[in-house]
Amino acid sequence: MVSVITSFSRITILSFVLAFTIIDLIQIFEFKLSDTLSSILATVQAVMIVLFLINGSIVLYMAKDNDITILVLMLVELVFYWGIYVAVHKMAVPMSRTLLNNILMFLDFSFLMLERIKVQNGIKQLAFGVSALVVAYLVIILIKSIHRVSQHIYFYGAIGIISLLSVIFIGNVEYGARMSFTLLGVRVQPSEFVKLSFVFFIAAAIVTYKDYRGFLISTIGSALHVLVLVLSKDLGSALIFLGAYVFITFIAYKNYILLSIEFAVGLFGGILAYKMFPHIQTRFIAWSDPLSVIDDKGYQISQSLFAIGTPGWFGSGLNNGVPGKIPVVTNDFIFAAIAEEMGTIVAICLILMFMCSVFAIFNIAFSCSNKFYMLVVSGLGIIFAIQSILNIGGVIKFIPSTGVTLPFISSGGSSLLSLMITFFIIDSADELGYCSDVRGIYE
Amino acid sequence: MNRPIKKSKRKEIYVVACFFVIIFVGMIAYLINFVTNGAKEFVYNPYNSRFSVFADDVTRGNIYTADGHAIAQTSLGEDRKEVRVYPDKKLFCHSVGYVDKGMTGLEASYSFDLLKSNIPLEEQINNSLTGKKSPGDDLFTTLDYDTQKAAYDGLDIFDGAVIAMEPDTGKIVAMVSKPDFDPNTIAANWDDLTDEKNKKSSLVNRATLGAYPPGSTFKIVTTIAYLRANGGNEDYSFNCKGSLKVDDYKIHCSGHKSHGKEDLLKAFSNSCNSAFADIGLNIDPVDFRGTAESLLFNQELPTMLEHTKASSFKVNSSTAKSIIAQSAIGQGETSASPLHMCMLVSAIANDGNLMEPYLADKIITAKGETVQQTKPKSYGDIISKDEASKLQSYMEAVVMDGTADKVDFGDLKVYGKTGTAEFTNNKNQTHSWFVGYAVDNSGKKLAVAVIMERAGYGSKYAAPLAAKVFKAYFE
Repeated sequence: MVSVITSFSRITILSFVLAFTIIDLIQIFEFKLSDTLSSILATVQAVMIVLFLINGSIVLYMAKDNDITILVLMLVELVFYWGIYVAVHKMAVPMSRTLLNNILMFLDFSFLMLERIKVQNGIKQLAFGVSALVVAYLVIILIKSIHRVSQHIYFYGAIGIISLLSVIFIGNVEYGARMSFTLLGVRVQPSEFVKLSFVFFIAAAIVTYKDYRGFLISTIGSALHVLVLVLSKDLGSALIFLGAYVFITFIAYKNYILLSIEFAVGLFGGILAYKMFPHIQTRFIAWSDPLSVIDDKGYQISQSLFAIGTPGWFGSGLNNGVPGKIPVVTNDFIFAAIAEEMGTIVAICLILMFMCSVFAIFNIAFSCSNKFYMLVVSGLGIIFAIQSILNIGGVIKFIPSTGVTLPFISSGGSSLLSLMITFFIIDSADELGYCSDVRGIYE
Repeated sequence: MNRPIKKSKRKEIYVVACFFVIIFVGMIAYLINFVTNGAKEFVYNPYNSRFSVFADDVTRGNIYTADGHAIAQTSLGEDRKEVRVYPDKKLFCHSVGYVDKGMTGLEASYSFDLLKSNIPLEEQINNSLTGKKSPGDDLFTTLDYDTQKAAYDGLDIFDGAVIAMEPDTGKIVAMVSKPDFDPNTIAANWDDLTDEKNKKSSLVNRATLGAYPPGSTFKIVTTIAYLRANGGNEDYSFNCKGSLKVDDYKIHCSGHKSHGKEDLLKAFSNSCNSAFADIGLNIDPVDFRGTAESLLFNQELPTMLEHTKASSFKVNSSTAKSIIAQSAIGQGETSASPLHMCMLVSAIANDGNLMEPYLADKIITAKGETVQQTKPKSYGDIISKDEASKLQSYMEAVVMDGTADKVDFGDLKVYGKTGTAEFTNNKNQTHSWFVGYAVDNSGKKLAVAVIMERAGYGSKYAAPLAAKVFKAYFE
């Protein structure tokens, strides 16, 4: 009986995800959509989010010998979603409803997959989520109260670099890189939060100085950030920061020659790093021919590709696969677990959802009235895009694996909190911008 | 909320957005390509343990010959546990392979398909409701039962290999390798089969992995090299005195026989070593190697089979003359697999065009519906039509009044080349070769390569075995 439900649910889950994704594409790429229709479609998406969660939870409940925890978690998750919804509506920008829906959908994937791998993981992630919601809400209130938010260049730059440096000295080594330290029993990954301060830093430097100094300060500051990350062997984050710098300055200065030079310098730096660091070379070998080093460096990516390739288009069904065979599956390789159990079509839909989310963020940036927040939102969108590309690309062997997490889906509290703040800033950018504009006038 | 802003000045945001969209779309395309084409390489990897999950719901499908003989099936043993049974025991062992002790052969490369059930979905659901397993898909090979049996019985007690393929499709009709093993008892005999002291290497498929000195069958390559060096001109004359001295080395003709005055056709049909050593020495070594490589030496063979061995021809501009002379008659450092030699004559039979050999013809559901059908695939022309027709006439002469003229091929029109290959310094121990093809009245063709280890003259052992294979196939 359980296997019938699982088998049948492959089709229903696929339909929910597919319907959701199609609406996503319509919302983002059909410009002539009327507001009424758009609003109806957004509501349909919300229904899909709920159905997906309920359907998945029922499958897990039955597959895990009627573990009632799963159903309790499902209810708490629905309340949590409602909390996010209320929080967002307090900030109220109707345009980001697609973005909100996408994030809730990502959380669906995250909760279901983590619970499936280990119920404990799901409970932990939900707890992180609830705390992240509260903290992020407070952070927004805090940002609103900061005077001249766009002028504290050195403050943003300094916290970023100091936080990153702190990991080098007191950090824990994990998978050959120093990325986190333990604070009061909680593992904190500072680079997640530095992404925010970094974007604020560049945007502030560019907005404050209208001449060459803005560019100079942001370039030197970015170089320092990237350098520290390379030294702590956090290759993925280094790439994200570098990319954010390149694209933010492009959007700010609208200069293609500058873009090309930055690209060339970045590429040169990459080649240099490749020649200098053996751990980068091994990542390339594991990427180009993982089966040749399957006993060692290629093990993880090979297992990931087995997981994606073996069940095929429709997947093995939730709880029917063996994602546990992939090392660190709850973290960097959760996409492979989703592809294995829910199938390649759902995996493709997930990629499309990330694409639409990125586009939705850029839409918000485009209509942002305040230049500082336009740059901040663009920067956060760029980071979100690069991070999801690096993660998914690494898991499917499109590019070498860089060890970054999948936004909103991978387990981990630091990442989720940082993303929640990111999302709230993007969502309330106009209001935040208005606040600082108004203050600017009165001061 | 929407205070006036100069939005048109922000088009760079969408330039960046488009950049990311392109990468996302690229990733999707990559993923689709991986699942449709690339995944098999990973799925079939022995490290992939996910197969075992499928076996819980699906009974492994059967493997059949082209004429519907079951050669691997799953049946229930005494304890109602599934066992894999190979009814013909050793007959198909190397091509079909086995599942215990790590999979090999077709069992390995089609494991994915055999463990997949494509019967209608409602039946699958019905089966899982009632706790029954669904039947996996079946694999039909290109092998012909009678031809395989003739080849197997014909090889008798000799070690060696026989491979036969259709020149115009690439279908492998028979593939035998000896010594062999019984896949039914592979687990029980495993320690013995893989014992280091056991030098028989019974698990190795000599038809695809054997690296034999091709001996006189290599004269096909030397002939093509000669034609290419002379712009297709066949003019050649040589006075054979039974041997040819090259530096300090003496090349002997078979049985020290003097063939007298010969042209190219005569030298080929007599398999005259002295003449071919002379021919080899008169071709530029670089061109010689180039021709050999265009005939697929020193590279992976273009086949739809897994695990083949590259043949080797190492002559270059610094090679000693005596080595070139030996290489020209298929000795020295030259080696070839029976599969490769079979492909070579197959291309000659097919007027120069090589069809890629394959073993798996189609996959059908337990209900008989075709799921996947292999389409014959052309590798292209490895020799020109003109070269092919010349070689055809030379190979015809071998059978009409050359080294194989005593062999009884019945009514079939046969084209071939014999070979007697030395493999140690002991000239009394030789491998017996025959490569060639036969055509029946309707124009149907079959190419074969036969090697019998330590058997003696090609004309005496290998060619008569080829005749048996032809007869079994065309009857």
